[in-house]
Amino acid sequence: MWRPSGVDRSTAAFIGLVVVCLVLVTVDLRASGEGLGGTLRDGVQTAFTPVQKAAAFVSRPVVSFFEGISDLVGIRDENRRLRLQLADLERQLAETESLQRQVEELEEILAIAPPGELDTVAARVLATGPSDFDAIRLIDKGRAAGITIDMPVIDEGGLVGRVVAVTESSARVRLITDPTMRVAVRVERTGETGILIGRGGGLLQLEMFNTNAALIEGDLLVTADGRFPAGIPVARVTEAAEAEVGFSLITTAAPEAELSRVDYVKVLVFTSDQVGSPGSEEENPPIQPPLENGGSTTTTTIGSGPGTTISP
Amino acid sequence: MKWRRTAVAVALVILAVALQTTLFVTLRPFGASPALALLITLAVGRHLGRVPALLVGFATGLLLDLLSETALGLWALVLTTVAFATVRLRRRFEDDVTLLIPGVFLISFGGLALYALLGTIFGEQTLADAQVVRKMLLPAVYNTILAPLFLPPITRLIGERGGGRSGWER
Repeated sequence: MWRPSGVDRSTAAFIGLVVVCLVLVTVDLRASGEGLGGTLRDGVQTAFTPVQKAAAFVSRPVVSFFEGISDLVGIRDENRRLRLQLADLERQLAETESLQRQVEELEEILAIAPPGELDTVAARVLATGPSDFDAIRLIDKGRAAGITIDMPVIDEGGLVGRVVAVTESSARVRLITDPTMRVAVRVERTGETGILIGRGGGLLQLEMFNTNAALIEGDLLVTADGRFPAGIPVARVTEAAEAEVGFSLITTAAPEAELSRVDYVKVLVFTSDQVGSPGSEEENPPIQPPLENGGSTTTTTIGSGPGTTISP
Repeated sequence: MKWRRTAVAVALVILAVALQTTLFVTLRPFGASPALALLITLAVGRHLGRVPALLVGFATGLLLDLLSETALGLWALVLTTVAFATVRLRRRFEDDVTLLIPGVFLISFGGLALYALLGTIFGEQTLADAQVVRKMLLPAVYNTILAPLFLPPITRLIGERGGGRSGWER
């Protein structure tokens, strides 16, 4: 192989590989992840999923052991907190059942079709992204289970992320904390809308469209745009904010989903086309009873127009 | 023998990537995890020939790229650079073993910093990450802690059993 005098073989190989890498990056970015890169990703992920399944099977007891040790420290406080939460939820359940009956009666009187239910696919988190910079989770259900790209993923707390790649038996979910993620949200208390931006982990950044709106600590933010069904809890405001003249209203919010320890998730069988049909949000505003408890009911109404409900 | 060493290196890389993506889903002390693939690239790069070490770094990076949503070639570029730094510095590490552990830290941190920089250039917004320093620092610290556990067995597996000249001299 020709190389300039004074450059040893390994340096020449290094320069050659760097050029190959830069070509690959350029080609992949131009193809936007489709084309050969997309095919290769699908193939490698399909081939590697059994290896990851085996590794997860072997490593899970080890992880559980270490988690058990760390959990022992706060288990008593956690137990007390859960008992209080259980009592609160039982009270809320009773209230919700009563509200549900009222809604059904009102729907009957007003001849409104009850909202439909969104199918969900339960899945287990199999793997994470290859580095801490990748806010990605691999789940053990894919195309065979009816999952397609862009479907929202939730856990018992709220929105986890959305599906960005699917193979026959697995799917990759991009978490809402990823810096490239944007989620349109509505403040449940006031109805004002804004946008949540991922910051790589921890808290999310909230930017409000109406800069005159005021936010208080604990305000629940739910999904508001057509990419996700409306009404899914996403985050809670962590710092009160009030706009100053000429400045946009920006604050932080903590995700409702427990993203650092997400183990089981539900994929909502929903695509943004489902709200793009006649009678969409603007033309047919949602009829939703006010939820005082931030939507923590056994059946969460999250839909508008065509109507969508997640069953427990 | 050369092929056996390369095959062992490839098996180690696959094992490292599988463990890195599955072991640290929820087990993330202080919200971070070790960069095992980077550590194995470094450990293997100490013993293989110079060009095979670069090729293993490139292949490991490519595997990471294909298992993530980053631009194809980004991790390949980073781990090829890590392998290159390792083959350039390995004689110095051998001369003074006390440099090895700080060397693992510096190469790990440097590799992750390079990834953060390149990620931003290629639109991944990695430097916009509020925890970017932590995501470079903690994995490098974890790699440094794990190095005494990982490096000696890997030396035994592909270094000393290679026969003839040690990997350092190639």
